[in-house]
Amino acid sequence: MLFSYILQFVPDKAEAEYLLIDIFSRLTPKLQQACDSSLSIYCWLQVEARKIILEYNRSQGSEGMSVLEPMHVVDGRSKVNYFSLLQDASPEHQWVFRELFINGREKEELARQAGMDLAYIGRLLKESLLIIREKLG
Amino acid sequence: MNIHQYIASGIVESYTLGLASPQEAAEFERMLLLHAPLQQALADFQFQLELFAIQNEVPPPPGIKGEIEDRLRNVPAVRPIYRRQGQKGDDERQSDYIKVQSSSTHMWVHRYWRPVFIIIFILSKIFLALSIYFFVQYLHDQRDIQQLQDQLKVVQQQLSIPDHGRQQGHFK
Repeated sequence: MLFSYILQFVPDKAEAEYLLIDIFSRLTPKLQQACDSSLSIYCWLQVEARKIILEYNRSQGSEGMSVLEPMHVVDGRSKVNYFSLLQDASPEHQWVFRELFINGREKEELARQAGMDLAYIGRLLKESLLIIREKLG
Repeated sequence: MNIHQYIASGIVESYTLGLASPQEAAEFERMLLLHAPLQQALADFQFQLELFAIQNEVPPPPGIKGEIEDRLRNVPAVRPIYRRQGQKGDDERQSDYIKVQSSSTHMWVHRYWRPVFIIIFILSKIFLALSIYFFVQYLHDQRDIQQLQDQLKVVQQQLSIPDHGRQQGHFK
């Protein structure tokens, strides 16, 4: 499950494998934090894994996936990621979610760079998350 | 803002995906302790995410599990506990458990131990009562013995006086 999660940030399978090993070796000693967290173990793992992936992407000077395509086909079925749940959303929603979630940028930085109001960025993010929740449900 | 508006603000999704700021996360964790609907919303969203992850799983290449295990064996904070394989020489081969430090001051035991502890407690009380009873009994017996010994001495003294007198008369 975590491998699919990594692939939405790092499309290259070899890099994703390297990250999967790295994530497990770095997060295993912190398992107590997972037990103490308000999140389930898997969701905690996702949150912490994302931090490591973003750190890796920054060190590589690369950005995550930015295309609205299913990631992989397994047993004849297309596997989708969180970003593909925004397929029907506006380009602005997709852009905000991609920059904040996939590329790990800060809302303030994004607002400043795009010359937009911070509250507007926050609203787009909120709407994107609600679209994702609706699609998941 | 009431709790339903708070849930509708997207904070649950933001927190679960790691997009909440430290201030938002701290506020969310504080609110989570107080509001059952928020706990339910969090549990529901986490369930949906996990279901999505299962449905869209891309399996990692075979052999990666071994690589992860090899790496974990070299992590100092992870103490491997080796499972007995039932064969000599295999004891130290495979690590199956990870030591998780507990920050709790409480010790948890299986519920099956509960009747055992109750029985031990009751037995300890019975033994305590019995030991007190026998100790008191022992004191009483000691006192009775002492009294009997005193009486015996008195009787012996009474008996020895005529004998002594008779012996003196006989020598005369």
